[in-house]
This record gives sequence, structure tokens and C-alpha cells, in this order.
Amino acid sequence: MKLIFEYEENISGHVPRIQKINTDKKDKDRDKNNENREFLADLPSDLARKELPLPNVGEVDVVRHYTNMSRMNFGIDLGFYPLGSCTMKYNPKINEDMARLEGFSQLHPLSHESCIQGSLQLMWELEQDFNKITGMDAFSLQPAAGAQGELLGVMIAKAYYKQKHEKRTKVLIPDSAHGTNPATAAMCKLETVTVPSDSRGNMDICKFRELLGQDVALVMLTNPNTLGLFEENILEISDLAHSNGTLMYCDGANMNALLGITRPGDQGFDLIHLNLHKTFSTPHGGGGPGAGAVGVKSFLVDYLPLPRVVKTMKRFVLEYSRRKSVGMLKYCYGNFGMLVRAYSYLRSWGSELRRVSEHATLNANYLLCLLRNDFELPFDRRCAHEFVLSSKNLGQKSALNIAKRLMDYGFHPPTIYFPLIVPEALMIEPTETESKETLDEFAAALKAIANEIKTDPDMVKGAPYTRPVGRLDEVRAARKPNLRWRWLSIANKTNEDSENIKNSGGTTSL
Amino acid sequence: MDYIPATENDKKEMLMQIGATSINDLMADLKPQISEDLAFTDPMSELELASHMKKLSQKNKILKYFIGAGAYNHYVPSAIYHLLMRGEFLTGYTPYQAEMNQGTLQAIYEFQSFICLLTGMDVANASLYDGSSALAEAVLMSASYNGRNGIFVNDGLNPQYEQVLKTYCEGADLKIVDEIDEKTACVVVQNPDFYGNLENFQYLSDRAHQFGALFVTCVVEPTSLAIVEPPGNYGADIVVGEGQSFGIPINFGGPYLGFLAVKAPLLKKIPGRVCGMTTDLHGKKGFVLTLQAREQHIRRERATSNITTNVELMAIASTIYLALMGRDGLKNVAKHCYSRAHLLQENLASTGFKPLNSKPFYNEFIMKAPLKSYEKILSKLLKKGIVGGLNLGNDNILICCTEMNTFEDIALYISIIKGTLNLK
Repeated sequence: MKLIFEYEENISGHVPRIQKINTDKKDKDRDKNNENREFLADLPSDLARKELPLPNVGEVDVVRHYTNMSRMNFGIDLGFYPLGSCTMKYNPKINEDMARLEGFSQLHPLSHESCIQGSLQLMWELEQDFNKITGMDAFSLQPAAGAQGELLGVMIAKAYYKQKHEKRTKVLIPDSAHGTNPATAAMCKLETVTVPSDSRGNMDICKFRELLGQDVALVMLTNPNTLGLFEENILEISDLAHSNGTLMYCDGANMNALLGITRPGDQGFDLIHLNLHKTFSTPHGGGGPGAGAVGVKSFLVDYLPLPRVVKTMKRFVLEYSRRKSVGMLKYCYGNFGMLVRAYSYLRSWGSELRRVSEHATLNANYLLCLLRNDFELPFDRRCAHEFVLSSKNLGQKSALNIAKRLMDYGFHPPTIYFPLIVPEALMIEPTETESKETLDEFAAALKAIANEIKTDPDMVKGAPYTRPVGRLDEVRAARKPNLRWRWLSIANKTNEDSENIKNSGGTTSL
Repeated sequence: MDYIPATENDKKEMLMQIGATSINDLMADLKPQISEDLAFTDPMSELELASHMKKLSQKNKILKYFIGAGAYNHYVPSAIYHLLMRGEFLTGYTPYQAEMNQGTLQAIYEFQSFICLLTGMDVANASLYDGSSALAEAVLMSASYNGRNGIFVNDGLNPQYEQVLKTYCEGADLKIVDEIDEKTACVVVQNPDFYGNLENFQYLSDRAHQFGALFVTCVVEPTSLAIVEPPGNYGADIVVGEGQSFGIPINFGGPYLGFLAVKAPLLKKIPGRVCGMTTDLHGKKGFVLTLQAREQHIRRERATSNITTNVELMAIASTIYLALMGRDGLKNVAKHCYSRAHLLQENLASTGFKPLNSKPFYNEFIMKAPLKSYEKILSKLLKKGIVGGLNLGNDNILICCTEMNTFEDIALYISIIKGTLNLK
């Protein structure tokens, strides 16, 4: 498909022709000759832009361009999207409308406190809901995504130990953890120590005991972990950590397994982040925006970012003065639009929230049963909301080939090659919003592909066949990075050059 | 409301297949189980929810904004909303499986191109959370690039951005310093600055480079780039900023759109997603996420950042905005912003407000109200439905105009001021 920059010069569809100046007669006269008056002429020449190299495209072409691009995409609205660890559940349409209510979407964040009471109430109530769900004492809604929540968590831990004059430099992280955990620790100049998993998929508790020294600041655990398995020794781990003066951090990416059933706060975690775009159904948007609320136990409340929403007798206020706070993490109060969607979602479910996790677990265990004889199961336990299979029995690179071939069956592939401790990993998370019929069809497709790999392996290696493009060359992309369009004055080039430009779509390598 | 399709019969069949007697049976590992009632309210139907939310939203008051300070109230063309609501864009995730999401990937490629064209830089990433955290990422990136730990911040940075920067620096053991020297990792400027001032920073980028520091320019009101020299032309090594002005509602502060663009030598240090063009096995053009060896899911503790989910849908919104506006439309938006701000400033000056901008300004400006009058003026304006600006204390106010501020509103603003000050 051509790029937006490749359309012929046109009349731009959206030049705003806004009313002209009519404050008084003098202005009216000045405006008559030049709608922008002479103001802009005052801009010194060393500041004035000489050339703005953007295309002018008519509105109808722009709308067609992006509509056609959307048709080369796949989303939950089109079909099953079992991308493990991402909780690709249905995103209720009503929540989109609620976030776009004028009173929310058109509200300036620096408005007077009397003008923002609705938003503050929503944030305050959402914080109370998260407290109930997780067993924490307070939440900050400021982080923009899970990774920023983790960053906040580690910053809080760092500030906490600084306050206590303790030097702790290490973070214990199991080998099944998301890459964000060690990356976050590194951003805060803490050292990651990896703890291996045991034969049941838990963190190896003997190794954990050995590694838990006086220099350990934090244990970062995902529970259930990325294998979809609940950490069986969680209470013992928390006790060991606490008696060592170490804080427990919960990566709440897999909270969809726990709603209304068990609470990280009761499991001994001191800090947690929630991914609102996973558990609380805000749309993933092709890679965000998300939201990553962070909850803490009462002894860490003062470290949360500012401002905090506080309820007084008569109204809600923003509080900016807490001496121990780590500061601000982003502009204003967080991804408010995503908070509205999550709030809506929670009001829809209300007291029946537990059913979300019950059915997420039911669907995952059912799908696991349908598939367990065709693939290897690295840890043979009941799973939580997701599970990890290995296609090692189907040969090298089989997970990749299965993923590509699934596209031809109309499904989004699962997460592959993660967690790193399982070879040829297929990480499958069906979520509660899928019907039994869909799960049956998906299982049938995976079984059919497993069979195809045995009978016609070359065909599978050539997949996909039904997408707008065939299998893409990622090595070439990294080796000769072409990361942007460049305007080239074709008239100044030789014929050979223009031919090259044409062939490369008018772009050049960086 | 219920988003679970399984019938009782399905449930029975599934449990039988699993070999479990009940769903609780499946959850035996999970402990400790909640014993108390969590006291949630009854589930709401869609109708009840819509009515509840409408009431809640009406507790907010939407006024006429003459305030910016990091959130700019621009017009959002209708087509953006319609295109973003397509489930194909809205309900997919990060395009790890490139063949499934060529639409999102091409949009990222176009977004990266637009950002480079606007800023005069070589390469851009697929977006970061917002302008303030993008600035913090740029600073971390600078420190990691040259192994230094001093950060020099020029006057005029948005105070909230400065706070965010401090938070990140505290976490990463970096220091904000008062002087540029050979320990300085980078020099940070905002242009136009918090007070709306515009400056050609060639002199400062020269000074940064003289000490081997990187020069970082932060653009919080990017419509200015339509008429103002791009930072790439005055020595920026990294340009970051806030893309909210490009087709994203002010949303009470988020979600917004952080962007980051660099000169070529810094490519391998970029945080976050980057999309590249490649070919498929038949030689057909296509797009993939690339240079992933920088990222957390591959590199773990040695990654350039921990960022994963960014704000892709907002990047698509701004791409569509820039495509719709085009060269002429964007210039026109900028001219309207510029002209209206200057018109209002001129008129306020004639009522006795003192202009405080020492340099040319774009669409924000700072004025000192006649002695002790500002609180009074602010509440009068508020009563008439106008947010008159940001109160900076000492009767100093920061005022902003965009194309949304009609001339009637500007005239009303001025007449209220004149009324309050007892002028004609």
C-alpha cells in the first residue's frame, strides 16, 4: 500500500477557516487584507521556518487511506486473540462512549478544583475499588502503563530504604519473569539476581533462601506467574522476605486470574501494579495507551506520587504536599481516559466481578485439556488464566511456524518463545470473554497445524498465505534500517536514481 | 451487564472434559482465598451505567479555556474519531506478529516520518507515554550514551516536566546541575518555553557540544513547528515532546502522546518501539518492529528502557491529524494560534496588563495584572465561563490562545477585564 506521503499534491481537506477578526472596526479593517494580520511578520527570520515538508492530501483520500490500512489489521473485534500475558479480552463498546463524554474528554487538567469534581470523584472511587480487589491500602493512578508502574514501585522501594538509611542494591526476580522487571531494576541502578524455577514451575525456594541476603531490596514476582501457575509457596516466600527486611512487589499483569478470589495484599505483597488495559478491559490500541495503577500497603502510602486525590467532608481535593513522595511520574494525573473505561467496566461487573476470573480459569483449563496430547506440557498442573505449551515435539522453529500458520486459520497467534525457560513456547491466554465454540475451533486449528507440520512441513514454513503480506524479513529490516520516509527532489536525480526511489517506495535507508 | 458467553450447559461440558467437579475445584491452588464480602455495588446495566456516568461527567464544568501550560485545546477533526473507533485499530495489540497488523505498523512508520519531517531529525520512535516522561527518557538515554551524570536544565521548562525529570533522575542516580561542563550528559531546553518564548538555541547547542554534552530540545506545543525553525536546524541531538496538540482531546491530562526523535548516531540508544520497512519472502514491501535487541523483552536488564506498552493509538490519531491537516492546514492552525495570542496580548496591554515576555512568543504569554487585581479578575472570568489563564502568583498569569478561542470570546475576555478595572 502506498504511504500517505506518496499521494499527489492536492487541496488539503482540513485547512481550518475559522471566523475572522471582528473585535472592533480597526481590527476588521486590518483583517480584510490579510486574515492573519501582520502579527506573523514580526517573527524574526532566525526563528521563522523556511520549509514545511508535509503532504497536502484531500480528506476523502485520507479517510480511505487509513480505512484501508485498518483492514490490514487484526483485533479482538475480528477474532480470537489468545496472546498470552496480554489478556486480550473483549473491550466493551459502552466504555468508549463513556470516556468520550464531553465532561471527561474536554476537561482541561489545570481547571479550578470546583470544575473537576466529577473526575476527582471517579478517581477516588476507582482507587477504593482497587484497594478492595488487591487488599492494598492506597493506589496511585498516575503511571501510564505497567512498566511505568514497575518503575514507580522500584523508586518507592529505593526511597523507602534511603529513608531508613539501609543500603540494598539487589532485586530477586525469577527466571520466568517479564523482561520489564529486570529492565526496570536497571533503570533504578539496582542489580538483578535471577532465581531459577523448580520442577513445578514455582520459584525454587531453596535457591531463593540462598540468594536472599541483607542487600536484597525487593522480590519482584508475577502471580500467577508467566507459566500461568499460581506460586504455591507464596506465603512462605513473603514471610522469608519480610523477616529479611525485604519488600515484596507483585507484577499484577496476571490479575485476571485472581479477581474476587485471592488478594495479593493477603499474599504478603507490599506493592503491586495493575495493567488496566489487561485486567480491566481498556482497549490495547495497537500498543497503548494503557494505564498502570500502583498500590501499596499503608506504611508506603507517603511515598506515592503527587498529587493525591483526597476526600474531605464536602468535596474532593488534590493534595500536593507529602514530604516523602517520590515526586511526579508524568504530566498531571495519569491516563485519565483509560481510568474512565476501567471505572465503567468495574461498575458493569459490580459484585459479580469474581465471575471474570472464574471463567478465565475455566476457559484456560478447558483449552489446555483439548491440546495437552498434541503438544508438550512443561509443567503438568492445573493452570490459572493461561498456560504454556511447548511444540518441541514438532521440531526446531515450530512455535514460529505454528504462529504464522494460525493466521491462515483466522486466529491471532499466541505469544511465542516466552517465557524464556520453555523451549518452543506457546503461551496461550483465552480470557473469559470467549465462547466454548471459539475455543473448540482454535484447538481444532492447532491440531490441524500440528498434523500439517508432520505431513507437509514446507507448506507450513511458507505461511501465512492469506494476510496482506507474506512472511516478513526481520533480519533485513534490522540490517538495513529503513525507518522513515524522506522527501527527495526527484527532478535533481538521474534517471537511475529515480528508478531506485520508485522501487524503494520513495524511501531511503537511514 | 455480562461479557461472558458461556452457558450453564457449556460450563458443565467443559468441567467434565477437564475432569473437575466445579470451578472452585480449578482454583484450589489459589490462597489465601477471600472470605469477606468486598462490598461492591450491584452490577449496572448498560442503561444504568450510561446514566450514572453522564451524571458524574456533569459534575465537571467545561469552560472556555485561555489556558495551556502543557495541555492545548485544539480542534479535533471528526474523521479522526471515526477512524480510531475502528476495532481493527482499537482492539489489536503491539504488532509482534507483523503479518497480522500491517495497518498499525504502516501507521507507526508514517508517524515516525511525520515526526522527523516536523522536527528536522533523522529517526523517531513509535511513541512514549507523554511529553514529560519522553523528556525523562531522553535524559536517561543521554547519560547512557556518554556515561555522564550531570543534567543541565535551561530556564523555562514546564514545572511539571521538571518534577517528572527530577523523579526519574533520582531513581537513576543522575544530578541536575547549574553549570555546563565536561561532566554534563545533556543540556535541556523547552521551545517554545513554558512562558511561550521562542528562541533560536544555536548558541546553547554550540556550548553543549563544546563540552561533549548532548543537546535535548523539548517541544510541548508542536503546532508551533509549522511556523518555527525545527530543532534539528539549531543543533538538537534529541528532540522530544508532547503530541497532544495533534488531534488528541485534552482528556483531563491523558492519554497524551510522547514523541522522541534523534540524529542518526543515537539510533541504537533509542528507547521503545521502532518500526522499519522490509520485504516479505516474495519481495513485497511490508513493515515490522525492528532493532528489538535494544528492548526489554530481548535484552532484559541491559535494555535501553523498560517501556513496553506506549500510546500507539494516540500516535495513529496524530498521524491521521497531520495527514488531514497537511502542510497548509497545519500552518493555518499555527497562524491562528499565533495571531489570536498576539491580539489578546496587545489588547490586555492596553488595559494596563504588563507584558513580561522578553522574547518573541508563540501562542502563550505571561502578563502581570495591575496591582492585586488578578484574583478578582480570575473569578469574574470564571463566573462568565472563562478560564482566564494559569495563575503563577504575584499577579502573573500565563495565557494561551488556540484556534478554538473565538474572537467573540477574546472580545468578552477583554470587556470583562475592562469592566473589572473600571475602564471604558
